[in-house]
Amino acid sequence: MARDKIYLEEVFPSPFMQLWSGFRKTPVAMLGFYCFMFLVVLAIFSPIIVPYNPIDGNLDMILLPPSWHEDGDVSYLLGTDELGRDMLSRLMYGTSLTFGLSFVVVIVSLVIGVVIGSLSALTKGIKSSFLNHCLDVILSIPSLLLAIIIVAILGPGISNTVLAVAIVFIPQFIHITRYAVKEEFRKDYVLASRLDGASNFRILYYSIFPNIVERLMSQATLVQSAAILDIATLGFLGLGAQIPLPEWGAILANGLERFYIAPWTVYLPGLAILFAVVATNLVGEGIRHALKLRKES
Amino acid sequence: MLTFTLRRLSLFIFTLLVLTLLSFSLGFLFPGDTVINHSGQINTTAAELAHLNKVYHMDENIFSQYGAYLSHIFNGNFGQSMASQSPISHEIITLLPATIELSLVALLIAMSVGIPLGFIAAINHNKASDNVILSLAMLGYSIPVFWLGLLAILFFSIGLGWLPSAGQISLLFEIEFVTGIQFIDILLSDSPYKWQAFRDASTHIILPACVIAVAPATIFIRLSRTAMIEVLAASYIRAARAKGLSFSQIIFRHAIRNALIKIIRHVGLQFANLVTIAMVTEVIFSWPGIGRWLIESIYHRDYTAIQSGLLVLSCFIISMHLFIHFIYAALNPLARGNKYGS
Amino acid sequence: MAEFTMNYNYLPSLAIATFVYLLSGCNESNKLSLNERSIIYCSEGSPETFNPQLSISGTTTDATSKQIYNSLIVYQGKNNILAPSLAKSWHVTRDGKKITFYLRQDVRFHQMPYFTPTRLFNADDVLFSFNRIIDKNHSFHQVSGGQYPFFDSVKFSELVDKVEKINDFTIRFTLKRNDSSFLANLATDYAVILSQEYGQKLIANNAKHDIDLFPIGTGPFKVKDYRVGSLIRFYRHDDYWQGKAKIEQLVYNISPSKTSRLTKLLAKECDVSSYPIAHKKIIERSDLILESITSLNVGYFGFNTKKAPFNNKQVRQAISMGINKQALIETVYQGKSVRAKSILPKISWAYNDKTPELTYDPVRAKTLLATAGYPHGFTMDIWAMPVPRAYNPNAVTMAKLIQADLKKIGVTVKIISYEWSTFLRRLSQGEHQTFLLGWTADHPDPDNFFTPMLSCSSSEKGSNRTFWCNKEFDQLLNKALKTTNMSKRKNYYAQAMKIIYEEVPLLPIAHSRRFQARGIDIEGDILEHFGGINFYHVTKKIAINDIKVTGQAENINKVNN
Repeated sequence: MARDKIYLEEVFPSPFMQLWSGFRKTPVAMLGFYCFMFLVVLAIFSPIIVPYNPIDGNLDMILLPPSWHEDGDVSYLLGTDELGRDMLSRLMYGTSLTFGLSFVVVIVSLVIGVVIGSLSALTKGIKSSFLNHCLDVILSIPSLLLAIIIVAILGPGISNTVLAVAIVFIPQFIHITRYAVKEEFRKDYVLASRLDGASNFRILYYSIFPNIVERLMSQATLVQSAAILDIATLGFLGLGAQIPLPEWGAILANGLERFYIAPWTVYLPGLAILFAVVATNLVGEGIRHALKLRKES
Repeated sequence: MLTFTLRRLSLFIFTLLVLTLLSFSLGFLFPGDTVINHSGQINTTAAELAHLNKVYHMDENIFSQYGAYLSHIFNGNFGQSMASQSPISHEIITLLPATIELSLVALLIAMSVGIPLGFIAAINHNKASDNVILSLAMLGYSIPVFWLGLLAILFFSIGLGWLPSAGQISLLFEIEFVTGIQFIDILLSDSPYKWQAFRDASTHIILPACVIAVAPATIFIRLSRTAMIEVLAASYIRAARAKGLSFSQIIFRHAIRNALIKIIRHVGLQFANLVTIAMVTEVIFSWPGIGRWLIESIYHRDYTAIQSGLLVLSCFIISMHLFIHFIYAALNPLARGNKYGS
Repeated sequence: MAEFTMNYNYLPSLAIATFVYLLSGCNESNKLSLNERSIIYCSEGSPETFNPQLSISGTTTDATSKQIYNSLIVYQGKNNILAPSLAKSWHVTRDGKKITFYLRQDVRFHQMPYFTPTRLFNADDVLFSFNRIIDKNHSFHQVSGGQYPFFDSVKFSELVDKVEKINDFTIRFTLKRNDSSFLANLATDYAVILSQEYGQKLIANNAKHDIDLFPIGTGPFKVKDYRVGSLIRFYRHDDYWQGKAKIEQLVYNISPSKTSRLTKLLAKECDVSSYPIAHKKIIERSDLILESITSLNVGYFGFNTKKAPFNNKQVRQAISMGINKQALIETVYQGKSVRAKSILPKISWAYNDKTPELTYDPVRAKTLLATAGYPHGFTMDIWAMPVPRAYNPNAVTMAKLIQADLKKIGVTVKIISYEWSTFLRRLSQGEHQTFLLGWTADHPDPDNFFTPMLSCSSSEKGSNRTFWCNKEFDQLLNKALKTTNMSKRKNYYAQAMKIIYEEVPLLPIAHSRRFQARGIDIEGDILEHFGGINFYHVTKKIAINDIKVTGQAENINKVNN
């Protein structure tokens, strides 16, 4: 039987689809989104598609400038570093480290933060107030400082960096989830399903989460851009990725010694970080803009 | 105001206690012997170690240990640095003022650049200048600070030769340590080169302070823009306009004042953010502050220094927070209400 | 309300005014004169102590020996002839066992706020300085740890029977046996003379530790101020016995980061920089000079022979054969060094061209590893020193290259680096498996390579971080010291080097020159052939256009005041 729609049905898109349609209307946000997707693809496939091994150098090709420079070589598009490692390969591989790991950070802290946040939203009284105070204390310590301390406890290394940065961002998600859930709980539609006899968890899962997911997403992009910067900063300070991993911050710190003779080893990783953070922030801006449009409409 | 003060103070003390608890537990979390992590004395004989164990109540229960640790902290005894074997309280007293100086100057720059730009953006809401300012803010917010610092040195110190690249003051000048805030010390000193030293110190602070200020300035742009847009939409502005006040009168007499109050509330949080940025910047500009010291302590695995450095730095941040809250409450009676602490 | 508006109106113009004021102040008259009377030296690290007797690190001797102190005799000139310093002359008996020094009678110690000398330098000070090292019951022997690494490694206390004061300005060393390197050892940077009077005063004040923290010496400079990790400020010693130095103030700007040292040099924030990187960039600049000096040194890759698997000779050989030395030299030293066959550089008279050398052979390395019981390789750590030295300008990069080389023979490498003083401390405790370090000779006698680096005595106390101890090797060294016959000594050292080749406690890598960069306005020799640096002869040229600026600046100053 044909399932053509005969009636003019009112289609009611999910909040997520509403957000997407609002998002698509801003060209700058879409540009950011394409850049972001490009980085995601690069982060997944870079270990396969890198032209050279990012860790083993070619000692005959030391400190080669980028190919547009008169001394450059086309086969090394972005030049090489002091051990003859191809900069392009290192930067591509670094995408999966710096950018890719920031994803891991966001997912880990998002999941833990949302679970704790929604549980704590259901608590009341002294317990809630105590939790709030503790959260305030942690939130008032800057994330990077806290991450540095955690790395100091765990010892330097890329996995410890990811762990530290993830831990540091959990309170932000707890805070926003808690706030959002509490706000939603006061709304009428929750009351309606409560009258239907739904349990707290059922309300949380079926009614509230779909309605706060976009707020969480907007927070997630904020956290991700901060996570990229934090991972890179820790790498730059020598506390994150260790030799010879091509994490962007670590590449930059490594190039520092040759800043004046091979400036591209410092410019390029810096630009890569900037690019990734701007792309993430543009997506975040786009989401927030779309949210605002939806609220206003 | 009294209840407000009491409320804030009790919260402040609670926060400090949580922080000391955190720093106390770090002594257990770090590798090595807890009592050595607390005291920092690495080359101890058996007798000295026994004495330390006694002083820190290590043979008693954990609460008594914490009590002993607290009493050490309150007596200003943070132990010794494992790396240099000098008292940490002394090192902190010499280094913290440099960080305070740098971050306050940076905060000043961030506010004096960010807030007016935000206002301009808000007044020209949805126009070209608004978009330009917002894009700049986005860019400034996204730049990794260590990279920006390096570019600034390359451009201003090496390329143009305008500003020095490292340190607080040229080492030729001998300024006696009084407060640790370089500018005050220079003014207090009786050096024959006082004014030259003052100028030299000013040129040294410009570059690092500006680099630190970039990211917070962009946040101030956003904050002040949002605040101004809200204020301009408020009914009292419409009323003022209806009264026939000119645009500049409305902006300067009413809007700015009310928008500023909204911004001040956020200064505390931004200051915390700024201090972290300052830590990294201190490393790049060889600024003799506590941030660089803390990061170097991590390189040295100097656990006593990390523990105390964290405590002091976060206490400083939280005290600033409190201070700014008081200013805010003094300016805005509405903020003294009960909603705090919940 | 009015205040707010005012602030915003005045702010920009105020800022501009301040900025103009700041810029105008840059060429201030007094600053110029202060600037031309002072030198800023960007050094690579903080000294561990202000007494070079206690340390063998080059950073410490650079900051102390030639600046604060004097020794009895010194090496002088290109041919390294022993020359008088605090001792006017000396006399060695025919059996070589009694050495008498005749001291200068016009030497004054530093006058400082914490100490005012009441007498001139005399034999008591020499007695005090050497007895501190030799005599275990001396009241200062145990102060600051009681370790005298250089003297311990050359077995100084065993060698010297006694030190006697003949009269106020004559002193005699009596040796237990003839030792051909004794005078050379006294001319090193470590054999400095402290003040006995100061020592007595510190005993009275119960502050004995101060002797190594607040130094009193006879040298051309005295320490005014020291901030760990930040600066050392020296003032000129006006009563210096060779005449006062030409510069009044010497500041060591402690900058462990190589890049920041170069930045400060390029931005004219330091006049002289130690161990500069990016030589190409410095040569390009017309206002900077890159200089270098032949240095008797060797950079090596050492094994902790007390730790498995490196207690196995075959593993050491295999690892050494797995390292492509030539590639290290080209990359790390940028070709500015000589590949080391063994530990002696070519300029040493005991150098032997026929010394065998392990060559790069990854295939054999792999089979050797398999015979040693590691067919699948293993994991090890390399400790790479954090500071540049002439013998190894960049140990971390070298470690990275070795990491890549050893991966090919199945060995996984972890690179470890600590801040310099922590690094040395942990190394002396034997926490490492393998390490990158080197040795710079303190005097031209070849013994100064063998004994401190690889003898049994220095493995117990001293500077042998391989902890390797070979009786046969030690006997050869002792035989070489007991004779003055050059060809015999040369033969003994050749045999010793053969043992090093067979046992591989370390893999010698390169001999290199020591580099330094300075502004063209800095004149006078700084680098010395042995040991460290000396700022006594340095002057600053005053550029003519600077004087013109001075005149203008004075006017500005008046207006401002």
